[in-house]
Amino acid sequence: MDELMADLKEQIEVQLKLKNIKREDIGNDQPLFGEGLGLDSLDVLELIVLLKQQYKLRVSNPEDGLKVFRSVRTMAEFITANRVQNT
Amino acid sequence: MMKAYIRSAITISPQKTFNSPAFLNDLVEYNSNRLTSIEPDYSEAIDPRLIRRMSRIIKMSVASALACLKDAGIASPDAIVTGTAYGCLEDTGIFLTNMVQEDEEPVTPVAFVQSTHNTIGAQVALLIKCSRYNNTFVSGGASFENALLDAMMLLSENNAANVLVGGMDEITDMSHIVLSRLCLYKRQLVSNLNLFNINSKGTINGEGAAFFLLKNIPSANDLACIDAVATLYKPNDVAEIQQYIHSFLVSQSISYSDIDLLIFGNNGDSKNDEIYTQLQQSVFNGTPSINYKHLCGEYPTSTAFATWLGANIIKNNNIPIALDYQETSKNKINKVLIYNHYQNIYHSLILLSSC
Repeated sequence: MDELMADLKEQIEVQLKLKNIKREDIGNDQPLFGEGLGLDSLDVLELIVLLKQQYKLRVSNPEDGLKVFRSVRTMAEFITANRVQNT
Repeated sequence: MMKAYIRSAITISPQKTFNSPAFLNDLVEYNSNRLTSIEPDYSEAIDPRLIRRMSRIIKMSVASALACLKDAGIASPDAIVTGTAYGCLEDTGIFLTNMVQEDEEPVTPVAFVQSTHNTIGAQVALLIKCSRYNNTFVSGGASFENALLDAMMLLSENNAANVLVGGMDEITDMSHIVLSRLCLYKRQLVSNLNLFNINSKGTINGEGAAFFLLKNIPSANDLACIDAVATLYKPNDVAEIQQYIHSFLVSQSISYSDIDLLIFGNNGDSKNDEIYTQLQQSVFNGTPSINYKHLCGEYPTSTAFATWLGANIIKNNNIPIALDYQETSKNKINKVLIYNHYQNIYHSLILLSSC
């Protein structure tokens, strides 16, 4: 899980072109949106594409997105759970 | 159509034109067939959280637009009008490359969202929360002129009291390679400051973003006013261009001798420049002239740079020494006529005058 979260932080930093925030500054449980990392709706689309391209996963139910993209940990949990289901 | 008064004019170009108190007193020399804009530290003008998504052309344009509004003391204009031939080319390239690499599977959306030509007008509007008239003209080498015409019509018809109008285009590595294959640019290394002394095919690639705040009423702070703009598409020969210029001057009730300075769009390409030479030897014989594309390079909206140049010459009543202007006359520069053609397809005239 720790390795997966580290990978996600790197991918988030690169994909979202976070210039003033480094991967090591992103907390595992830090909210990605709002007062947390400050991401916005366009970033959600980037994260959906990231999951699709890097992990071959889709967030099929829009309401699940709120939970999945809450933090790096919730993203990692979603990936872990669905990878298991897919295998 | 009524005059439009230029309250402020800002450009980011391959010269030191942004945040520079001096007016082109120190030209930048490039030994290349590609002139790249000198970009400022954008973090002073744009929220760093927004910069991360912006491509070079968006940053150049947004920074110019915001500085233009600030200079004019206007928080939110009645209209935003932009003209660009290539639009946000860098994002277009990223988007198309992603599509190919991902085998047409869903790709990252930001490059696509920001690849459209009206992204710049929209970004400016979003940043200043302006939900009024917003239009973008994409018409090749007449894009800026059409944006200018739209802005002037808005002012003339009292649909706006002030309009933010801009012209912009960018070079990307890919576009430079593609356009080079079409033999648009010189093959040998050439100094931009020596551009007009080399008689060869091809020009130098250029780019830039220029914004103007136009008002419908004059003020003491105006740089100059735009009397008229006209475009001509694919003329048959020089005689048709001469007739077009003549009709334009008649429509403005002025004669050739009323023009204090011509700003010509010579770009160093021997075939391209032949038209300017013929006009200088005929209708414009004896009229003082300068060129501008050795400063900014050739690109479809370069007349935005020429308009910035002309407006500042009128405002300062001074032609920078670095422009190698030979005329010794000290008379006031009241009327400046910009004549440009882009690949002998899009011809345009922009008449500026002192206020």
